[in-house]
Amino acid sequence: MNRVFQGAVLLLFSFLLLASVLVEKEPKEYPKTYFLERGTHETGAVNLVTALYLAYRAYDTLGETIVLIGAVTGVLVLVGREK
Amino acid sequence: MKKTNILDVVSRKLSPFILLFGVYLVTFGHISPGGGFQGGVALASGLLLILLAQGPAVLKRTFSLEGISLVEVFGYGLFLLAGLAGFLWGVGFLSPILLPPRTIFILNIVIGAKVGAGITLICWHLFLEGEDSE
Repeated sequence: MNRVFQGAVLLLFSFLLLASVLVEKEPKEYPKTYFLERGTHETGAVNLVTALYLAYRAYDTLGETIVLIGAVTGVLVLVGREK
Repeated sequence: MKKTNILDVVSRKLSPFILLFGVYLVTFGHISPGGGFQGGVALASGLLLILLAQGPAVLKRTFSLEGISLVEVFGYGLFLLAGLAGFLWGVGFLSPILLPPRTIFILNIVIGAKVGAGITLICWHLFLEGEDSE
């Protein structure tokens, strides 16, 4: 009985997902054109890669710095010498 | 490791220019190709050239392990503070609060110092594992 319920819920949500994908409209504006047209004006960075990774996607960069700290911590734990 | 004159001279003369190029990549990251990550790795490679060719004692005259570790940790703290400062100005987390290029410029410098310190620390401990690196 439990299995049947789970299957029904799964089926329902997969149909909902399928429907949402099928009725999706063409977006009015793609991110690419947005960044190309307004990126330099909004962030002041001529280099659009920098504009992306430090202004629009700064969260991503924050995560990458966490990854780097994690890597340093791992190396120190594994091969760092004890004082 | 046997130390030759070529290794000695090249590492001494080349590493300041590598460091200068790293600083250029970091500070001009928002104008020309480059940025915090690439410039940070260039900075780290300049330090590692001295470390590998001259030994850790020479590098430690200028950059201590503790100092590099502090840069690594406080770089992350500065990045987080720059993000939290957005709340005080009433905009979102990590939103630019200064005039347009400045936030990116400052964040680039912070990331450059942090990545350089991190790569240097990792390579320092991995290359000199087992040897007396202290």
